[in-house]
Amino acid sequence: MTANVFPTAAPAVFCSIVPPHILDRVARADDTVLAERARRTLEHDARLRTARATTAGPGTRTAAPAPSPEGTDKPQQRTIYDAHHGNGLPGTKVRGEGGDAVDDIPVNRAYTGLGATFELYLRAYQRYSIDGAGLPMNASVHYAQEYNNAFWNGEQMVFGDGDGRLFNDFTIALDVIGHELTHGVTQYTANLDYNGQSGALNESLSDVFGSLVKQYAKGQSARQADWLIGEGLFTSRVSGVALRSMKAPGTAYDDDQLGKDPQPADMDHYVHTDRDNGGVHINSGIPNHAFYLVAEALGGNAWERAGQIWYDTLTGGQLARDAQFTDFAKATVRAARARYGEGAELDGVLKAWSQVGVATK
Amino acid sequence: MRIHVTRTGGFAGLSRHAEVDTSGRADAPQWHALADRALADGRGTPPKGVPDGFQYTITVDDDRTVYCADPHLTDEQRQLVSRVLGEGA
Repeated sequence: MTANVFPTAAPAVFCSIVPPHILDRVARADDTVLAERARRTLEHDARLRTARATTAGPGTRTAAPAPSPEGTDKPQQRTIYDAHHGNGLPGTKVRGEGGDAVDDIPVNRAYTGLGATFELYLRAYQRYSIDGAGLPMNASVHYAQEYNNAFWNGEQMVFGDGDGRLFNDFTIALDVIGHELTHGVTQYTANLDYNGQSGALNESLSDVFGSLVKQYAKGQSARQADWLIGEGLFTSRVSGVALRSMKAPGTAYDDDQLGKDPQPADMDHYVHTDRDNGGVHINSGIPNHAFYLVAEALGGNAWERAGQIWYDTLTGGQLARDAQFTDFAKATVRAARARYGEGAELDGVLKAWSQVGVATK
Repeated sequence: MRIHVTRTGGFAGLSRHAEVDTSGRADAPQWHALADRALADGRGTPPKGVPDGFQYTITVDDDRTVYCADPHLTDEQRQLVSRVLGEGA
């Protein structure tokens, strides 16, 4: 910490709105002391809750059931590290494969979430870990300070604790864990360029399989699922249910500080922007919604037929790294026909892309 | 010296920007030294970054602009963007 270098609690900050969505006036100079005090209180409360939960025994809340013991010929290898609020990766090892739960809930949530993601890929798609060849899965928690993000660095997952003002700990949402690991799967398969439409497809695939990890772990059908991404990440101060909605893109939040969820649901509302690698987290709403429509039309479990078509598309070797929405849509049509022939699956895929305005011919 | 920081990307896809004007501030020399060090290690074009990683643009006096991206920030860059944005980095 270098707090002594800057004796004032915070710089005089002008936070102004960056269209189309923003964090505005998050840290005002005039209430920084209060905000800091509140943050510390929240952290203290979280520590107390952690202590209570862990002393409560095996009932410690986890995001998903433990992986089943079957399939031991394809064992998983998870390692969770603690970055100790620094920026060095991976940090120190705190839980390895088969290790007991520890007194740090984010560590256990990350461990369980990696397992849930491993299970979906293995059971539903016979994919053995991220690279299909049993790649060990690593994650670091407690990255940096007040860090409002989680990311995939090309080798491992990284989770921040959130600032406690807007965001909670990023291990809270199981679909976020599935999302980050799916960036790894994409890296080893279609390797879609992370900008523009190919970047939005890369993001959408992470949302799709992230949501499917959650649905699979909870045993939810397409109609039971909430189709939200990042539910629970916002603190109670934010007016919003999640970061994104695949069922109704653009409706996940509408908040004084954060602005409104900017995701479009169709090509008529595609957002042209230089930011965020060309709006990869914005325009992903379009293919996200297409997947939802397919899953909703087919009914049953979304990871089965709808998920299989998307998985075949991702891993089939037919996508160029710079694939655009229409390239991806056509590839899903081919994948649906190849696996299921002419039928409800193909029909559902064609109708979904038509509804969101992406050409398949 | 006016130090402007823009952050885009991240899992949430939320953009933020903020500016600090150091004129008249008692700690202006420290800000200037920090900004100089942060700019010295910045890039002239945006780095590729990583999926869901934050990307930063640092501009001083509407004149000098450098780019950096998580997780490859120098300590000075991280300190500067964190202090200007008033949020962890």
